Amino acid sequence: MASGSSSGAMSSANLNAVRETMDVLLEISRILNTGLDMETLSICVRLCEQGINPEALSSVIKELRKATEALKAAENTTS
Amino acid sequence: MAGPGWSGSRMDRQQERDVCELVRRLTGLQDQADPNFHLALNFAWSNFRFHRFLDVNSHKIEKTIDGIYEKFTIHSDLSKAASWKRLTQEFLNASLPSTEGKKTDAHYSILSLLLCLSDSPSNSNYVETPRDKEVEKKDDFDWGKYLMEGEEIDLGPNVDTPNWSEDSDDEDAQQPLSREDSGIQVDRTPLEEQDHNRRGPQVDWKVDEPGSRSWLEQHVVRQYWTTRRSRVLHSLHLHSNLAAVWDQHLYSSDPLYIPDDKVVVTETQVIRETLWLLSGVKKLFIFQLIDGKVTVRNNIVVTHLTHNCLRSVLEQIAVYGQVVFRLQEFIDEVMGHNSESLSPGNSSRKSPEAPFRTYQAFMWALYKYFISFKEELTEIEKCIINNDSTITLAIVVDKLAPRLAQLKVLHKVFSTGVAEVPPDTRNVVRASHLLNTLYKAILEYDNVGEASEQTVSLLFSLWVETVRPYLQTVDEWIVHGHLWDGAREFIIQRNKNVPVNHRDFWYATYTLYSVSEKTENEEKMSDNASASSGSDQGPSSRQHTMVSFLKPVLKQIIMAGKSMQLLKNLRCAESSACQAAARDAERKSLYTLFLESIQLRLQHGEDSTPQVLTEQQATKENLIKMQSIAERHLELDDIHDPLLAINFARLYLEQSDFHEKFAGGDVCVDRSSESVTCQTFELTLRSCLYPHIDKQYLHCCGNLMQTLKKDYRLVEYLQAMRNFFLMEGGDTMYDFYTSIFDKIREKETWQNVSFLNVQLQEAVGQRYPEDSSRLSISFENVDTTKKKLPVHTLDGLTLSYKVPWPVDIVISLECQKIYNQVFLLLLQIKWAKYSLDVLLFGELANAAERPQLKEQNTLAQFGPPQESIRQQIHRMFLLRVKLMHFVNSLHNYIMTRILHSTGLEFQHQVEEAKDLDQLIKIHYRYLSTIHDRCLLREKVSFVKEAIMKVLNLALMFAEGWQAGLGAWQMESIEKMESDFKNCHMFLVTILNKAVCRGSFPHLESLALSLMAGMEQS
Repeated sequence: MASGSSSGAMSSANLNAVRETMDVLLEISRILNTGLDMETLSICVRLCEQGINPEALSSVIKELRKATEALKAAENTTS
Repeated sequence: MAGPGWSGSRMDRQQERDVCELVRRLTGLQDQADPNFHLALNFAWSNFRFHRFLDVNSHKIEKTIDGIYEKFTIHSDLSKAASWKRLTQEFLNASLPSTEGKKTDAHYSILSLLLCLSDSPSNSNYVETPRDKEVEKKDDFDWGKYLMEGEEIDLGPNVDTPNWSEDSDDEDAQQPLSREDSGIQVDRTPLEEQDHNRRGPQVDWKVDEPGSRSWLEQHVVRQYWTTRRSRVLHSLHLHSNLAAVWDQHLYSSDPLYIPDDKVVVTETQVIRETLWLLSGVKKLFIFQLIDGKVTVRNNIVVTHLTHNCLRSVLEQIAVYGQVVFRLQEFIDEVMGHNSESLSPGNSSRKSPEAPFRTYQAFMWALYKYFISFKEELTEIEKCIINNDSTITLAIVVDKLAPRLAQLKVLHKVFSTGVAEVPPDTRNVVRASHLLNTLYKAILEYDNVGEASEQTVSLLFSLWVETVRPYLQTVDEWIVHGHLWDGAREFIIQRNKNVPVNHRDFWYATYTLYSVSEKTENEEKMSDNASASSGSDQGPSSRQHTMVSFLKPVLKQIIMAGKSMQLLKNLRCAESSACQAAARDAERKSLYTLFLESIQLRLQHGEDSTPQVLTEQQATKENLIKMQSIAERHLELDDIHDPLLAINFARLYLEQSDFHEKFAGGDVCVDRSSESVTCQTFELTLRSCLYPHIDKQYLHCCGNLMQTLKKDYRLVEYLQAMRNFFLMEGGDTMYDFYTSIFDKIREKETWQNVSFLNVQLQEAVGQRYPEDSSRLSISFENVDTTKKKLPVHTLDGLTLSYKVPWPVDIVISLECQKIYNQVFLLLLQIKWAKYSLDVLLFGELANAAERPQLKEQNTLAQFGPPQESIRQQIHRMFLLRVKLMHFVNSLHNYIMTRILHSTGLEFQHQVEEAKDLDQLIKIHYRYLSTIHDRCLLREKVSFVKEAIMKVLNLALMFAEGWQAGLGAWQMESIEKMESDFKNCHMFLVTILNKAVCRGSFPHLESLALSLMAGMEQS
């Protein structure tokens, strides 16, 4: 179990493998139309690996998206 | 807030960071301190910790995956279905960054997350991104576009968005193909869902011939601003590839590191954009102007610096760019006002009136500064273009360091002096605030001494420019008498409703606005107070009110201005304004004089190069000559003030290298013992500005005095007042009052106004025919309780004298009231004196004889009263003489000791009066002095009452005398004697006390003469 910061020791083969995986995952994400970009996706992957419940995570993401939109809409109307 | 319960291990910290980052990405809130950010973070954490979801069930996920596959096939999205199947399988069999093994819970958990987030996958159109490199190489190239080269090509912002992994080294192989052979970019697979918000300037352009564009790019400049990726050819040395090396390091150390999309530029481009930014160009690539704020574009890199390093340098520059932009905006605003005011959009923000002259002057000074600044920038740019010396960003920043420091100062002054003023402030406040800010800034930096020489000189030049409208206003006012101030920015303003030829002109015409810095409230004060007494009473609270630099001469300015206006009007009234046309031809304005004095102060008069300082016309040769002169002087003259030299140089030479010579220390002038302190600046003003104002003040006030005295016979009028009111014209007034006294004596009515006036006219007309028309007398009944006493019979007589216009500023109605009080007192004394004087001894003796004869027949049996009657007569004689002595001493005292000598003093002072205000003051002082000395003040009313009592006694005595002895009883004579004695005693005691105390030296003679009367009795 090596976390992100200690992964400097990873072999380059492993690095490439992980990168492949992330590519695949991004494709899946795109098929499902989740709207996640690569960086958010990698954060999510890290969190899931650390045991955050995926459903909870997804609900957080949805809620925050909603709230942000509402905030922006409010700002637009006021300005 | 971050997981307080189980923090500690590194993994947890990583998790906290991740959650923070997630929230930031999702909400777009960058600021951690934002309350919204906190809310979101709390929300996320509470959801993660306290949720009611079950753990991931791999079977369920598998089922869902199958379900989706089926769904795709049902929608006949076969390719999607195939991709889906293949990708999920691939994923489940792949390894995760920090989880070993395949098909672990983590895999399912991630898939579960994606499934939860999925948003109608069947509805979206999806094309799988080819990831396989071998395949990519063939498919990726858009031959269609390539073959259509030469057609119009729209390079929209999202056309060439690169893939996220593009920076990886193994992909480089495909790059050269795009640029070198055709000059256009390869249009890669359009990834519409990947267009991150990219706000760069979208440059749409047409090129007829692609070859020409590439030619341009090769020979002129590469279009780095179109944000296309390209490899710039450069050295492969490690130092020039630092950015790439660092990127590589990040990439290899962190599997999840995602290299940003970066635009590689060269340092020269960065430098040039920096120069452009500082010279005020708004549309740049590296620096962006968003909502009036200059920011650095995020994805700029140079090859030899890391991204962060470059960014921090550029951000510093951006701050100065912001300053330049703000100042430029102000300049544009002031300069382009007329065109802007036509558009309605701007009107809400600013009032429609044009910027007033002080702002214009300030703008002009800034503008001049920027011109020289831009010249310097252009020099540097020329160097870059010529390629003849090494120029790096650091060199440029270093070279510009003094300028940048100046910009900072300018911005500080600007923001306090102009920008922070609330928009609906009046122009007076704005203008004086700006001038004060500059003034204070100069003093402030001057205090620092050597360290801020350049700043001081910069500020000084700004100040000198900015103060120009004010000085011109002052000049116009004190030389021509017009206070021309269209925008109402001057601290003194003309009140419209008072015409010049009005009595109140002198007091009520101008309003002085004194602007208080602390409260930003302006208080109006009538200049009645400020002009006559404002300068000496000025309390410390008004330290920073109004325009500080004018404060020492404010009184002179006001006086000179008002005098001049009055004078103009007087002249206009009597003679034509013939010289008005050519009025400015030979005269030097105050501002020019001021500049010349500064120059002289520098030159010490010896080498008077006769330069008329209309500096715009001065030629280059002149400037160089002056510069050399200045330097020579500096070297010769140790006493000399370097600050002024610098100021001078800045003002007239405006050559940047002049400064450097000073700063470089070639000319080592000793500034050890505060030779340049804050006093210097004030001294400069004192010696260069104030004398001119003073001179003009003396000139026009003297003129006014002269005119008033000569043409308007001010002195004669003052003499007339004394003649009639103070009875200096003795014979005239004698004629007048004796006729009245006679009437009173005869007990005839004398209160008839026409009778009084006829008497007055007759008396005055003989000797002062021109005054007779102006003089009149009236009588009004005052309350009758007082009238019982004979001394108050005369109360109510009022003399009035019509003073013609300009003189009535001095001899006002208030003055006439005081004159009248003295007049009445004199009349009373004269009356008492007259009454006593006209009594004849014979009268009394005759009166004594006659009843005696009668009485001899009738009252013989009561014994002869012969002796008692003789004694009575004798005592009356004695009393009369005592009374006469008293009244005469009083009369003498007042007529000679007080009125005459005070009058002489007054005449002297009038001769010496410098301005009208002073004259008015002198006149008032004179009046209050005689008022005091005639014992008319409230405080000494008991003395006056005693005197009145004596006068009353004298009048009653005279009345009795005339009525004959029969009316007299011994008792009444004794009572009179004792009354008189008491009053006399009382007065002598009081006066002696006062004299001994020394508080009233003038009373001494009166006290002495009264005392003499006492001793004899």
